[in-house]
Amino acid sequence: MILGIIRLSVVAFFVMLLVYFVLSWWSRSVRRKKLGIEWDEEIKAGDREAFIEEGLEDYDGSLRRKLIMGVFIVPYMVIGVLVYVVNFQ
Amino acid sequence: MHYIKRAFWTVFWVLLIVFLHYTLPQRDIARIVETEVRRVDFGENSIFWAGADTGQDGTGVNRDIRFVNTVRKTTYLFGLIQTGRERPMVYRNEDTGWGWPPYFKLDSSNLQTEMADNKSTANDPQWVVLTHYGWRNEFLSIFPNAVGVRPIEDPNTRLIPYFNILILIILAGLMLGFYRLTQWFRREKIDPIVDSASEKWDGVDAYADEKRAGFRGWLDSFKGKKKRY
Repeated sequence: MILGIIRLSVVAFFVMLLVYFVLSWWSRSVRRKKLGIEWDEEIKAGDREAFIEEGLEDYDGSLRRKLIMGVFIVPYMVIGVLVYVVNFQ
Repeated sequence: MHYIKRAFWTVFWVLLIVFLHYTLPQRDIARIVETEVRRVDFGENSIFWAGADTGQDGTGVNRDIRFVNTVRKTTYLFGLIQTGRERPMVYRNEDTGWGWPPYFKLDSSNLQTEMADNKSTANDPQWVVLTHYGWRNEFLSIFPNAVGVRPIEDPNTRLIPYFNILILIILAGLMLGFYRLTQWFRREKIDPIVDSASEKWDGVDAYADEKRAGFRGWLDSFKGKKKRY
């Protein structure tokens, strides 16, 4: 039991780590592209690169980015709920 | 190529559906006849059995397994429509523990007690809703694994699989997300590399043509021909 749950937690953690990195890379990349489009279509003045960097810094502090952390929390919560529902209800 | 692609995706979807049909929970309305424990020697069908009870040694070649013998109402269309017939059905009752499939079932002994508690005879039936996953197959001697049981008054109730509907919606969402991720990856990361590589290759090609023309020209100079370009 103890070994099984540790093995599951560790494997799940590494899978979630991978998912987290891929998701945050994707999300940041999409954001960068959107900022570029915004500059091209609406702003068209000043330094394009600086505008994008500034936008990405705002994004780094945003709730949206922090939501990706949910990748770590949700699966463990689901496991907890399942253990309770299947065995103790 | 087109046919290979189509065959690949057909096989993929069929396997996915078969896999989900085995793994997702299903509910039967049944009457418990008997609960028993008997030893099973695993052979070709060993993949269709779960492990030993959580915490116990699972390295033995055989094991005592809890079984639940029932008579169930047969249904079709994923359990939505009852046929009005009754057939025998035997379930196994094993821990899935922390492994696959992810039911995290640790309470097989308790469940077996609940099953025995709801035992009844054909004359005075006590119907139960029995949640399980897996298949019964006589050719392989495999049994679905019971996960939960609760008594029910009306054996003709139609059970709507809300849980499975939710799981399938979530799964479809995840697959769509993954598809969009791969599309994005191909568009933004692979295509630019391929494009620049093919531009490079065009350059190499042109250079080779030029050089070859030069070499030919030099060879031709021996034959007294005029330069070609």
